[in-house]
Amino acid sequence: MNLKRSNKVLLLLVSFGILVLALLGLLIGDIPTDCLDVYHSIFSYSEDNLSELIVREIRLPRVCMALMAGAALSIAGMLMQTLFQNPLAGPYVLGINSGASLMVALGILSGTGFLSSEFGLIGSALIGAFIFGLFILFTASFLRNQIGLLLFGVMLGSFVSAIITILELSSESESLKAFTLWSMGSLNGVTIEQLPIIFLVFFLGCIVALFIVNPLNILVLGEEECRMMGYNVKRLRLLIVFVTALFTGLITAFCGPIAFIGLAIPNLTRMLFKTQDHMLLLLANLLFGALFLLSCDLLIQLLSDFILIPINALTSLIGAPFVIYILIRKIR
Amino acid sequence: MIAIKDTEIGFGTSLFSIPAMDFDQGKVHILMGKNGIGKSALLNTLSGLISPIKGTITLDGISLPDYSYKHLAKKMAYVRSDVKGVPFLTVDAFLLLGRYHYKSFLRKHSAEDYAQIQKAKELFGIAHLTEKFTNELSSGELHLCAIAKAYVQQTDYILLDEPTSHLDYANKRKVYELLGEIAKNHNKGIIISTHDLDLAFKFPFDFYLIESQMQSLKRIKGFNEVEKEFSNCI
Repeated sequence: MNLKRSNKVLLLLVSFGILVLALLGLLIGDIPTDCLDVYHSIFSYSEDNLSELIVREIRLPRVCMALMAGAALSIAGMLMQTLFQNPLAGPYVLGINSGASLMVALGILSGTGFLSSEFGLIGSALIGAFIFGLFILFTASFLRNQIGLLLFGVMLGSFVSAIITILELSSESESLKAFTLWSMGSLNGVTIEQLPIIFLVFFLGCIVALFIVNPLNILVLGEEECRMMGYNVKRLRLLIVFVTALFTGLITAFCGPIAFIGLAIPNLTRMLFKTQDHMLLLLANLLFGALFLLSCDLLIQLLSDFILIPINALTSLIGAPFVIYILIRKIR
Repeated sequence: MIAIKDTEIGFGTSLFSIPAMDFDQGKVHILMGKNGIGKSALLNTLSGLISPIKGTITLDGISLPDYSYKHLAKKMAYVRSDVKGVPFLTVDAFLLLGRYHYKSFLRKHSAEDYAQIQKAKELFGIAHLTEKFTNELSSGELHLCAIAKAYVQQTDYILLDEPTSHLDYANKRKVYELLGEIAKNHNKGIIISTHDLDLAFKFPFDFYLIESQMQSLKRIKGFNEVEKEFSNCI
Protein backbone atom coordinates (compact mmCIF):
# COMPACT_ATOMS: atom_id res chain seq x y z
CA MET A 1 0.00 0.00 0.00
CA ASN A 2 1.60 3.21 -1.16
CA LEU A 3 0.04 6.01 0.80
CA LYS A 4 -0.19 9.54 -0.48
CA ARG A 5 0.92 12.19 1.94
CA SER A 6 -2.57 13.65 2.33
CA ASN A 7 -3.97 10.19 3.07
CA LYS A 8 -1.33 9.57 5.72
CA VAL A 9 -2.15 12.87 7.41
CA LEU A 10 -5.85 12.07 7.31
CA LEU A 11 -5.36 8.62 8.86
CA LEU A 12 -3.08 10.02 11.56
CA LEU A 13 -5.57 12.77 12.36
CA VAL A 14 -8.38 10.26 12.71
CA SER A 15 -6.26 7.99 14.93
CA PHE A 16 -5.41 10.96 17.11
CA GLY A 17 -9.06 11.97 17.22
CA ILE A 18 -10.00 8.47 18.38
CA LEU A 19 -7.47 8.64 21.24
CA VAL A 20 -8.72 12.03 22.40
CA LEU A 21 -12.40 11.15 22.16
CA ALA A 22 -11.86 7.79 23.85
CA LEU A 23 -10.19 9.54 26.77
CA LEU A 24 -13.03 12.08 26.88
CA GLY A 25 -15.50 9.20 26.82
CA LEU A 26 -13.81 7.78 29.91
CA LEU A 27 -13.74 11.14 31.69
CA ILE A 28 -17.16 12.60 30.96
CA GLY A 29 -20.28 11.56 32.87
CA ASP A 30 -22.47 12.31 35.87
CA ILE A 31 -19.71 11.44 38.32
CA PRO A 32 -16.63 13.59 37.73
CA THR A 33 -13.40 11.64 37.25
CA ASP A 34 -9.88 12.68 36.31
CA CYS A 35 -7.09 11.11 34.29
CA LEU A 36 -5.58 9.52 37.38
CA ASP A 37 -8.82 7.61 38.06
CA VAL A 38 -8.78 6.39 34.46
CA TYR A 39 -5.15 5.27 34.81
CA HIS A 40 -5.85 3.46 38.09
CA SER A 41 -9.04 1.83 36.84
CA ILE A 42 -7.08 0.18 34.04
CA PHE A 43 -3.72 -0.60 35.62
CA SER A 44 -4.25 -0.76 39.39
CA TYR A 45 -7.97 -1.19 39.89
CA SER A 46 -9.58 -1.25 43.31
CA GLU A 47 -13.32 -1.85 43.69
CA ASP A 48 -13.60 0.44 46.70
CA ASN A 49 -13.01 3.62 44.74
CA LEU A 50 -16.32 4.74 43.22
CA SER A 51 -14.73 6.75 40.38
CA GLU A 52 -12.54 3.86 39.36
CA LEU A 53 -15.49 1.49 39.56
CA ILE A 54 -17.55 3.69 37.25
CA VAL A 55 -14.75 4.11 34.73
CA ARG A 56 -13.96 0.40 34.64
CA GLU A 57 -17.43 -1.13 34.85
CA ILE A 58 -19.46 1.39 32.87
CA ARG A 59 -17.43 3.76 30.73
CA LEU A 60 -14.61 1.49 29.57
CA PRO A 61 -16.94 -1.20 28.15
CA ARG A 62 -19.09 1.48 26.52
CA VAL A 63 -16.16 3.21 24.84
CA CYS A 64 -14.62 -0.09 23.68
CA MET A 65 -17.99 -1.19 22.36
CA ALA A 66 -18.46 2.08 20.47
CA LEU A 67 -15.04 1.64 18.84
CA MET A 68 -15.61 -1.97 17.83
CA ALA A 69 -19.23 -1.55 16.74
CA GLY A 70 -18.42 1.46 14.56
CA ALA A 71 -15.44 -0.27 12.97
CA ALA A 72 -17.19 -3.61 12.48
CA LEU A 73 -20.35 -2.17 10.90
CA SER A 74 -18.34 0.07 8.57
CA ILE A 75 -16.17 -2.81 7.38
CA ALA A 76 -19.29 -4.96 6.91
CA GLY A 77 -20.80 -2.17 4.80
CA MET A 78 -17.67 -1.85 2.69
CA LEU A 79 -17.69 -5.60 2.03
CA MET A 80 -21.37 -5.58 1.02
CA GLN A 81 -20.86 -2.61 -1.31
CA THR A 82 -17.94 -4.28 -3.05
CA LEU A 83 -19.66 -7.66 -3.23
CA PHE A 84 -22.83 -6.27 -4.81
CA GLN A 85 -21.01 -3.46 -6.65
CA ASN A 86 -23.62 -1.17 -5.20
CA PRO A 87 -22.78 1.97 -3.22
CA LEU A 88 -26.16 1.79 -1.47
CA ALA A 89 -25.69 -1.70 -0.06
CA GLY A 90 -25.04 -2.26 3.62
CA PRO A 91 -25.84 -4.76 6.33
CA TYR A 92 -28.83 -2.72 7.51
CA VAL A 93 -30.50 -1.91 4.18
CA LEU A 94 -29.97 -5.43 2.86
CA GLY A 95 -31.72 -6.84 5.90
CA ILE A 96 -28.83 -8.78 7.47
CA ASN A 97 -29.62 -6.95 10.71
CA SER A 98 -33.17 -8.23 10.37
CA GLY A 99 -31.93 -11.80 10.54
CA ALA A 100 -30.16 -11.09 13.81
CA SER A 101 -33.11 -9.04 15.11
CA LEU A 102 -35.57 -11.81 14.38
CA MET A 103 -33.54 -14.33 16.35
CA VAL A 104 -33.02 -11.93 19.25
CA ALA A 105 -36.77 -11.16 19.27
CA LEU A 106 -37.55 -14.86 19.37
CA GLY A 107 -35.12 -15.23 22.25
CA ILE A 108 -36.16 -12.30 24.41
CA LEU A 109 -39.90 -12.26 23.66
CA SER A 110 -40.52 -15.97 23.96
CA GLY A 111 -38.47 -15.71 27.13
CA THR A 112 -37.80 -19.41 27.26
CA GLY A 113 -34.83 -21.62 27.83
CA PHE A 114 -31.64 -21.65 25.85
CA LEU A 115 -32.54 -18.90 23.37
CA SER A 116 -32.89 -16.19 26.02
CA SER A 117 -29.61 -17.02 27.74
CA GLU A 118 -26.69 -14.75 26.96
CA PHE A 119 -24.83 -17.34 24.94
CA GLY A 120 -27.97 -18.45 23.14
CA LEU A 121 -28.83 -14.87 22.24
CA ILE A 122 -25.45 -14.17 20.64
CA GLY A 123 -25.25 -17.52 18.93
CA SER A 124 -28.71 -17.23 17.47
CA ALA A 125 -28.09 -13.63 16.35
CA LEU A 126 -24.98 -14.80 14.47
CA ILE A 127 -26.87 -17.68 12.88
CA GLY A 128 -29.77 -15.40 11.94
CA ALA A 129 -27.42 -12.89 10.32
CA PHE A 130 -25.59 -15.62 8.43
CA ILE A 131 -28.78 -17.24 7.13
CA PHE A 132 -30.14 -13.90 5.94
CA GLY A 133 -26.75 -13.12 4.36
CA LEU A 134 -26.87 -16.37 2.38
CA PHE A 135 -30.49 -15.64 1.48
CA ILE A 136 -29.49 -12.26 0.02
CA LEU A 137 -26.50 -13.78 -1.76
CA PHE A 138 -28.80 -16.38 -3.30
CA THR A 139 -31.32 -13.72 -4.34
CA ALA A 140 -28.56 -11.56 -5.83
CA SER A 141 -27.51 -14.43 -8.09
CA PHE A 142 -30.67 -14.05 -10.15
CA LEU A 143 -31.78 -10.52 -9.18
CA ARG A 144 -29.05 -8.69 -11.08
CA ASN A 145 -30.72 -5.30 -10.73
CA GLN A 146 -29.15 -3.03 -8.10
CA ILE A 147 -32.33 -1.26 -7.02
CA GLY A 148 -34.18 -4.59 -7.05
CA LEU A 149 -31.76 -6.05 -4.54
CA LEU A 150 -32.11 -3.04 -2.23
CA LEU A 151 -35.89 -3.27 -2.41
CA PHE A 152 -35.60 -6.95 -1.60
CA GLY A 153 -33.62 -6.02 1.51
CA VAL A 154 -36.25 -3.48 2.53
CA MET A 155 -39.01 -6.05 2.01
CA LEU A 156 -37.08 -8.55 4.10
CA GLY A 157 -36.89 -5.91 6.83
CA SER A 158 -40.65 -5.21 6.70
CA PHE A 159 -41.45 -8.89 6.75
CA VAL A 160 -39.33 -9.45 9.82
CA SER A 161 -40.67 -6.40 11.64
CA ALA A 162 -44.20 -7.69 11.00
CA ILE A 163 -43.30 -10.98 12.65
CA ILE A 164 -41.66 -9.12 15.53
CA THR A 165 -44.80 -7.01 16.04
CA ILE A 166 -46.88 -10.16 16.34
CA LEU A 167 -44.39 -11.58 18.81
CA GLU A 168 -44.49 -8.33 20.80
CA LEU A 169 -48.27 -8.37 21.11
CA SER A 170 -48.30 -11.82 22.60
CA SER A 171 -45.42 -11.38 25.02
CA GLU A 172 -45.10 -10.51 28.70
CA SER A 173 -44.72 -6.83 29.58
CA GLU A 174 -41.37 -7.50 31.26
CA SER A 175 -39.74 -9.06 28.20
CA LEU A 176 -41.50 -6.54 25.93
CA LYS A 177 -39.74 -3.73 27.76
CA ALA A 178 -36.40 -5.48 27.55
CA PHE A 179 -36.83 -6.01 23.82
CA THR A 180 -37.96 -2.43 23.14
CA LEU A 181 -34.91 -1.10 24.97
CA TRP A 182 -32.67 -3.47 23.01
CA SER A 183 -34.20 -2.39 19.68
CA MET A 184 -33.39 1.27 20.38
CA GLY A 185 -29.75 0.32 20.41
CA SER A 186 -27.44 0.85 23.35
CA LEU A 187 -23.73 0.64 23.95
CA ASN A 188 -24.28 0.28 27.71
CA GLY A 189 -25.36 -3.33 27.74
CA VAL A 190 -21.85 -4.78 27.64
CA THR A 191 -19.93 -5.75 30.75
CA ILE A 192 -16.17 -5.70 31.09
CA GLU A 193 -16.11 -9.48 31.37
CA GLN A 194 -17.71 -9.79 27.92
CA LEU A 195 -15.20 -7.50 26.22
CA PRO A 196 -12.43 -10.06 25.54
CA ILE A 197 -14.73 -12.47 23.74
CA ILE A 198 -16.28 -9.66 21.69
CA PHE A 199 -12.82 -8.42 20.80
CA LEU A 200 -11.76 -11.92 19.80
CA VAL A 201 -14.69 -12.29 17.38
CA PHE A 202 -14.10 -8.78 16.05
CA PHE A 203 -10.40 -9.53 15.55
CA LEU A 204 -11.20 -12.78 13.74
CA GLY A 205 -13.47 -10.89 11.32
CA CYS A 206 -10.77 -8.28 10.67
CA ILE A 207 -8.20 -10.98 9.92
CA VAL A 208 -10.49 -12.66 7.41
CA ALA A 209 -11.23 -9.29 5.81
CA LEU A 210 -7.49 -8.57 5.59
CA PHE A 211 -6.96 -11.95 4.01
CA ILE A 212 -9.29 -11.17 1.09
CA VAL A 213 -8.15 -7.62 0.18
CA ASN A 214 -6.49 -8.77 -3.07
CA PRO A 215 -9.57 -10.40 -4.59
CA LEU A 216 -11.72 -7.54 -3.26
CA ASN A 217 -9.65 -5.11 -5.33
CA ILE A 218 -10.52 -7.06 -8.48
CA LEU A 219 -14.11 -7.73 -7.44
CA VAL A 220 -14.92 -4.05 -8.13
CA LEU A 221 -14.57 -4.97 -11.83
CA GLY A 222 -17.11 -7.79 -11.49
CA GLU A 223 -17.19 -11.43 -10.51
CA GLU A 224 -16.10 -12.70 -13.92
CA GLU A 225 -12.96 -10.54 -13.91
CA CYS A 226 -12.17 -11.78 -10.42
CA ARG A 227 -12.60 -15.37 -11.54
CA MET A 228 -10.43 -14.82 -14.61
CA MET A 229 -7.61 -13.38 -12.52
CA GLY A 230 -7.47 -16.72 -10.78
CA TYR A 231 -9.61 -16.26 -7.67
CA ASN A 232 -12.26 -18.63 -6.43
CA VAL A 233 -15.27 -16.31 -6.51
CA LYS A 234 -17.70 -18.71 -4.83
CA ARG A 235 -15.41 -19.03 -1.82
CA LEU A 236 -14.81 -15.27 -1.82
CA ARG A 237 -18.55 -14.55 -1.73
CA LEU A 238 -19.04 -16.95 1.17
CA LEU A 239 -16.14 -15.39 3.07
CA ILE A 240 -17.60 -11.91 2.58
CA VAL A 241 -21.01 -13.03 3.81
CA PHE A 242 -19.32 -14.82 6.71
CA VAL A 243 -17.46 -11.70 7.87
CA THR A 244 -20.48 -9.46 7.36
CA ALA A 245 -22.73 -11.80 9.31
CA LEU A 246 -20.14 -12.21 12.04
CA PHE A 247 -19.82 -8.46 12.51
CA THR A 248 -23.50 -7.64 12.13
CA GLY A 249 -24.68 -10.52 14.31
CA LEU A 250 -22.15 -9.74 17.02
CA ILE A 251 -22.91 -6.03 17.19
CA THR A 252 -26.66 -6.49 16.85
CA ALA A 253 -26.74 -9.02 19.66
CA PHE A 254 -24.86 -6.75 22.07
CA CYS A 255 -25.93 -3.26 21.01
CA GLY A 256 -29.20 -3.71 19.16
CA PRO A 257 -29.75 -2.70 15.55
CA ILE A 258 -27.55 0.29 14.68
CA ALA A 259 -28.55 1.81 11.37
CA PHE A 260 -26.74 3.61 8.57
CA ILE A 261 -23.14 3.36 9.78
CA GLY A 262 -22.52 0.47 7.41
CA LEU A 263 -23.96 2.53 4.58
CA ALA A 264 -22.63 6.01 5.29
CA ILE A 265 -19.05 5.43 6.48
CA PRO A 266 -17.86 3.26 3.54
CA ASN A 267 -19.22 5.85 1.12
CA LEU A 268 -17.57 8.63 3.09
CA THR A 269 -14.18 6.90 3.08
CA ARG A 270 -14.32 6.11 -0.64
CA MET A 271 -15.13 9.78 -1.29
CA LEU A 272 -12.40 11.10 1.01
CA PHE A 273 -9.61 8.79 -0.07
CA LYS A 274 -10.70 8.49 -3.72
CA THR A 275 -9.44 4.95 -4.01
CA GLN A 276 -10.54 1.37 -4.58
CA ASP A 277 -7.52 -0.05 -2.78
CA HIS A 278 -9.24 -2.22 -0.19
CA MET A 279 -6.23 -2.35 2.09
CA LEU A 280 -6.50 1.40 2.53
CA LEU A 281 -10.31 1.27 2.60
CA LEU A 282 -10.25 -1.43 5.28
CA LEU A 283 -8.02 0.69 7.49
CA ALA A 284 -10.00 3.84 6.75
CA ASN A 285 -13.34 2.19 7.54
CA LEU A 286 -11.95 0.72 10.73
CA LEU A 287 -10.77 4.13 11.94
CA PHE A 288 -13.58 6.32 10.62
CA GLY A 289 -16.28 3.91 11.78
CA ALA A 290 -14.77 3.79 15.25
CA LEU A 291 -14.41 7.56 15.38
CA PHE A 292 -17.95 8.15 14.15
CA LEU A 293 -19.71 5.92 16.64
CA LEU A 294 -17.48 7.16 19.43
CA SER A 295 -18.46 10.76 18.60
CA CYS A 296 -22.12 9.79 18.49
CA ASP A 297 -21.81 8.18 21.91
CA LEU A 298 -20.01 11.22 23.32
CA LEU A 299 -22.70 13.51 21.93
CA ILE A 300 -25.36 11.37 23.61
CA GLN A 301 -23.50 11.57 26.93
CA LEU A 302 -23.13 15.35 26.66
CA LEU A 303 -26.81 15.82 25.84
CA SER A 304 -28.03 13.31 28.42
CA ASP A 305 -28.85 16.05 30.93
CA PHE A 306 -31.34 17.59 28.52
CA ILE A 307 -32.57 14.75 26.38
CA LEU A 308 -32.06 10.98 26.15
CA ILE A 309 -31.23 9.82 22.63
CA PRO A 310 -30.91 6.13 21.78
CA ILE A 311 -27.82 5.43 19.66
CA ASN A 312 -29.88 3.97 16.81
CA ALA A 313 -31.90 7.20 16.59
CA LEU A 314 -28.79 9.39 16.46
CA THR A 315 -27.01 7.38 13.75
CA SER A 316 -30.22 7.46 11.69
CA LEU A 317 -30.60 11.22 12.20
CA ILE A 318 -27.09 11.78 10.84
CA GLY A 319 -26.91 8.85 8.42
CA ALA A 320 -30.21 9.21 6.56
CA PRO A 321 -29.57 12.77 5.27
CA PHE A 322 -26.06 11.73 4.22
CA VAL A 323 -27.43 8.80 2.22
CA ILE A 324 -29.96 11.12 0.56
CA TYR A 325 -27.02 13.38 -0.34
CA ILE A 326 -25.21 10.42 -1.95
CA LEU A 327 -28.38 9.49 -3.86
CA ILE A 328 -28.78 12.99 -5.25
CA ARG A 329 -25.09 13.16 -6.21
CA LYS A 330 -25.36 9.80 -7.96
CA ILE A 331 -28.49 10.65 -9.90
CA ARG A 332 -27.12 13.99 -11.09
CA MET B 1 -2.25 -24.29 -29.14
CA ILE B 2 -5.96 -24.24 -28.36
CA ALA B 3 -7.46 -27.40 -29.80
CA ILE B 4 -11.24 -27.85 -30.14
CA LYS B 5 -12.80 -31.13 -31.25
CA ASP B 6 -16.43 -32.25 -31.66
CA THR B 7 -17.64 -29.45 -29.45
CA GLU B 8 -20.93 -27.62 -29.12
CA ILE B 9 -20.91 -24.06 -27.85
CA GLY B 10 -23.63 -21.98 -26.22
CA PHE B 11 -25.06 -20.39 -23.09
CA GLY B 12 -27.10 -23.26 -21.66
CA THR B 13 -28.35 -24.42 -25.06
CA SER B 14 -26.20 -25.18 -28.07
CA LEU B 15 -25.75 -22.32 -30.55
CA PHE B 16 -23.29 -23.88 -32.98
CA SER B 17 -20.84 -26.74 -33.29
CA ILE B 18 -17.13 -27.01 -34.00
CA PRO B 19 -16.14 -30.31 -35.64
CA ALA B 20 -12.42 -29.55 -35.29
CA MET B 21 -10.43 -26.33 -35.03
CA ASP B 22 -7.01 -25.28 -33.77
CA PHE B 23 -5.86 -21.81 -32.80
CA ASP B 24 -2.07 -21.46 -32.90
CA GLN B 25 0.20 -19.15 -31.01
CA GLY B 26 2.02 -16.41 -32.94
CA LYS B 27 -1.06 -15.45 -34.94
CA VAL B 28 -4.14 -13.25 -34.78
CA HIS B 29 -7.38 -15.12 -35.34
CA ILE B 30 -10.40 -13.09 -36.40
CA LEU B 31 -13.80 -14.49 -35.50
CA MET B 32 -16.80 -13.30 -37.49
CA GLY B 33 -20.48 -14.02 -37.61
CA LYS B 34 -23.92 -12.48 -37.28
CA ASN B 35 -25.23 -10.94 -34.07
CA GLY B 36 -26.26 -13.57 -31.56
CA ILE B 37 -24.62 -16.41 -33.48
CA GLY B 38 -22.37 -17.27 -30.53
CA LYS B 39 -19.09 -15.37 -30.88
CA SER B 40 -19.16 -14.26 -27.23
CA ALA B 41 -20.25 -17.75 -26.19
CA LEU B 42 -17.17 -19.20 -27.87
CA LEU B 43 -14.83 -16.66 -26.23
CA ASN B 44 -16.48 -17.21 -22.82
CA THR B 45 -16.01 -20.95 -23.29
CA LEU B 46 -12.36 -20.60 -24.27
CA SER B 47 -11.72 -18.38 -21.24
CA GLY B 48 -13.22 -21.03 -18.97
CA LEU B 49 -16.08 -18.81 -17.76
CA ILE B 50 -18.66 -21.28 -19.15
CA SER B 51 -18.33 -24.93 -20.14
CA PRO B 52 -18.95 -26.23 -23.64
CA ILE B 53 -22.34 -27.94 -24.06
CA LYS B 54 -20.54 -30.97 -25.49
CA GLY B 55 -16.96 -31.97 -26.08
CA THR B 56 -13.64 -30.83 -24.66
CA ILE B 57 -11.17 -28.08 -25.35
CA THR B 58 -7.47 -28.47 -24.69
CA LEU B 59 -5.03 -25.67 -24.04
CA ASP B 60 -1.40 -26.61 -24.73
CA GLY B 61 -2.30 -30.26 -24.38
CA ILE B 62 -4.17 -29.99 -21.10
CA SER B 63 -7.95 -30.10 -20.93
CA LEU B 64 -9.40 -26.70 -19.95
CA PRO B 65 -11.28 -27.87 -16.80
CA ASP B 66 -8.02 -29.37 -15.48
CA TYR B 67 -6.43 -25.95 -15.15
CA SER B 68 -6.55 -24.29 -11.74
CA TYR B 69 -7.99 -20.73 -11.73
CA LYS B 70 -4.55 -19.31 -10.95
CA HIS B 71 -2.80 -21.29 -13.68
CA LEU B 72 -5.41 -20.30 -16.27
CA ALA B 73 -5.01 -16.61 -15.34
CA LYS B 74 -1.32 -16.90 -16.26
CA LYS B 75 -2.19 -18.57 -19.57
CA MET B 76 -5.08 -16.51 -20.87
CA ALA B 77 -6.37 -12.95 -20.72
CA TYR B 78 -9.88 -11.99 -21.82
CA VAL B 79 -11.20 -8.55 -22.69
CA ARG B 80 -14.98 -8.70 -22.49
CA SER B 81 -17.17 -6.48 -24.64
CA ASP B 82 -18.82 -4.79 -21.64
CA VAL B 83 -15.90 -3.09 -19.91
CA LYS B 84 -17.19 -0.74 -17.26
CA GLY B 85 -15.54 2.15 -15.49
CA VAL B 86 -15.44 2.17 -11.70
CA PRO B 87 -15.56 5.35 -9.59
CA PHE B 88 -12.29 6.22 -7.83
CA LEU B 89 -10.38 3.51 -9.72
CA THR B 90 -7.53 5.24 -11.59
CA VAL B 91 -6.21 3.94 -14.90
CA ASP B 92 -2.95 3.03 -13.16
CA ALA B 93 -4.75 1.05 -10.45
CA PHE B 94 -6.90 -0.56 -13.16
CA LEU B 95 -3.82 -1.69 -15.12
CA LEU B 96 -2.16 -2.99 -11.95
CA LEU B 97 -5.17 -5.29 -11.45
CA GLY B 98 -3.85 -7.10 -14.54
CA ARG B 99 -0.81 -8.11 -12.48
CA TYR B 100 -2.68 -9.64 -9.55
CA HIS B 101 -2.04 -13.21 -10.68
CA TYR B 102 1.59 -12.54 -9.77
CA LYS B 103 0.85 -10.67 -6.54
CA SER B 104 0.94 -12.67 -3.36
CA PHE B 105 -0.89 -11.83 -0.17
CA LEU B 106 0.15 -8.49 1.40
CA ARG B 107 3.17 -8.18 -0.90
CA LYS B 108 3.70 -4.92 -2.74
CA HIS B 109 3.71 -4.81 -6.51
CA SER B 110 7.13 -5.52 -7.98
CA ALA B 111 9.26 -3.26 -10.19
CA GLU B 112 8.42 -5.68 -13.01
CA ASP B 113 4.71 -4.93 -12.52
CA TYR B 114 5.29 -1.18 -12.85
CA ALA B 115 7.59 -1.66 -15.84
CA GLN B 116 4.89 -3.70 -17.60
CA ILE B 117 2.15 -1.14 -17.09
CA GLN B 118 4.48 1.68 -18.16
CA LYS B 119 5.23 -0.20 -21.37
CA ALA B 120 1.54 -0.95 -21.98
CA LYS B 121 0.61 2.70 -21.48
CA GLU B 122 3.14 3.80 -24.07
CA LEU B 123 2.17 1.07 -26.55
CA PHE B 124 -1.53 1.85 -26.44
CA GLY B 125 -1.12 5.61 -26.15
CA ILE B 126 -2.91 6.02 -22.85
CA ALA B 127 -0.06 7.48 -20.78
CA HIS B 128 -1.91 10.79 -20.50
CA LEU B 129 -4.84 9.05 -18.74
CA THR B 130 -2.75 7.64 -15.86
CA GLU B 131 -4.38 9.49 -12.99
CA LYS B 132 -7.89 9.65 -14.47
CA PHE B 133 -10.72 7.66 -12.88
CA THR B 134 -11.96 4.88 -15.13
CA ASN B 135 -15.61 5.97 -14.89
CA GLU B 136 -14.65 9.35 -16.36
CA LEU B 137 -13.13 7.92 -19.54
CA SER B 138 -14.90 7.73 -22.88
CA SER B 139 -15.88 4.17 -23.79
CA GLY B 140 -13.15 4.17 -26.46
CA GLU B 141 -10.48 5.18 -23.96
CA LEU B 142 -11.82 2.63 -21.51
CA HIS B 143 -11.54 -0.15 -24.10
CA LEU B 144 -7.98 0.84 -24.91
CA CYS B 145 -7.21 0.57 -21.17
CA ALA B 146 -8.89 -2.84 -20.99
CA ILE B 147 -6.78 -4.10 -23.92
CA ALA B 148 -3.68 -2.67 -22.24
CA LYS B 149 -4.66 -4.50 -19.03
CA ALA B 150 -4.88 -7.78 -20.96
CA TYR B 151 -1.44 -7.08 -22.45
CA VAL B 152 -0.05 -6.39 -18.96
CA GLN B 153 -1.25 -9.80 -17.85
CA GLN B 154 1.52 -11.29 -20.08
CA THR B 155 -0.33 -14.42 -21.07
CA ASP B 156 0.26 -16.80 -24.00
CA TYR B 157 -3.28 -16.20 -25.24
CA ILE B 158 -5.46 -13.09 -25.38
CA LEU B 159 -9.16 -13.22 -26.20
CA LEU B 160 -10.95 -10.01 -27.17
CA ASP B 161 -14.72 -9.67 -27.63
CA GLU B 162 -15.44 -6.86 -30.10
CA PRO B 163 -12.60 -4.73 -28.73
CA THR B 164 -12.73 -2.15 -31.47
CA SER B 165 -16.46 -1.42 -31.65
CA HIS B 166 -16.13 1.73 -29.50
CA LEU B 167 -12.93 3.05 -31.07
CA ASP B 168 -12.45 5.71 -33.73
CA TYR B 169 -10.96 4.64 -37.05
CA ALA B 170 -7.38 5.61 -36.20
CA ASN B 171 -7.49 3.70 -32.92
CA LYS B 172 -9.13 0.68 -34.58
CA ARG B 173 -6.22 0.54 -37.03
CA LYS B 174 -3.71 1.01 -34.27
CA VAL B 175 -5.19 -1.77 -32.14
CA TYR B 176 -5.15 -4.26 -35.04
CA GLU B 177 -1.59 -3.30 -35.95
CA LEU B 178 -0.41 -3.57 -32.35
CA LEU B 179 -2.12 -6.90 -31.74
CA GLY B 180 -0.61 -8.22 -34.97
CA GLU B 181 2.85 -7.19 -33.83
CA ILE B 182 2.37 -8.53 -30.32
CA ALA B 183 1.20 -11.89 -31.68
CA LYS B 184 4.18 -12.16 -34.02
CA ASN B 185 6.95 -10.76 -31.85
CA HIS B 186 5.93 -12.35 -28.56
CA ASN B 187 4.46 -15.55 -30.00
CA LYS B 188 1.00 -15.01 -28.54
CA GLY B 189 -2.25 -16.51 -29.75
CA ILE B 190 -4.81 -13.73 -30.11
CA ILE B 191 -8.48 -14.36 -30.90
CA ILE B 192 -10.65 -11.38 -31.73
CA SER B 193 -14.35 -11.30 -32.47
CA THR B 194 -15.35 -8.33 -34.59
CA HIS B 195 -17.80 -6.76 -37.00
CA ASP B 196 -15.11 -4.49 -38.52
CA LEU B 197 -14.76 -6.76 -41.56
CA ASP B 198 -13.37 -4.25 -44.06
CA LEU B 199 -10.57 -3.21 -41.76
CA ALA B 200 -9.71 -6.67 -40.47
CA PHE B 201 -9.26 -8.07 -43.95
CA LYS B 202 -6.50 -5.53 -44.65
CA PHE B 203 -4.29 -7.43 -42.22
CA PRO B 204 -2.58 -10.79 -42.74
CA PHE B 205 -4.67 -12.52 -40.08
CA ASP B 206 -6.47 -15.88 -40.02
CA PHE B 207 -10.21 -15.61 -40.48
CA TYR B 208 -13.05 -17.73 -39.17
CA LEU B 209 -16.78 -17.54 -39.68
CA ILE B 210 -19.59 -18.97 -37.62
CA GLU B 211 -21.93 -19.87 -40.42
CA SER B 212 -25.62 -19.44 -39.71
CA GLN B 213 -26.95 -22.10 -42.09
CA MET B 214 -24.67 -24.95 -41.01
CA GLN B 215 -24.43 -23.55 -37.51
CA SER B 216 -20.76 -24.37 -37.38
CA LEU B 217 -17.36 -22.69 -37.27
CA LYS B 218 -15.22 -22.79 -40.38
CA ARG B 219 -11.99 -21.27 -41.57
CA ILE B 220 -12.37 -18.87 -44.49
CA LYS B 221 -9.90 -17.44 -46.97
CA GLY B 222 -11.36 -14.33 -48.47
CA PHE B 223 -13.84 -11.52 -48.03
CA ASN B 224 -16.28 -12.97 -50.60
CA GLU B 225 -17.10 -15.91 -48.33
CA VAL B 226 -18.16 -13.53 -45.58
CA GLU B 227 -20.15 -11.43 -48.00
CA LYS B 228 -22.20 -14.48 -48.92
CA GLU B 229 -23.01 -15.11 -45.25
CA PHE B 230 -24.19 -11.57 -44.62
CA SER B 231 -26.12 -11.16 -47.88
CA ASN B 232 -28.03 -14.36 -47.15
CA CYS B 233 -30.04 -12.56 -44.50
CA ILE B 234 -33.72 -12.94 -45.08
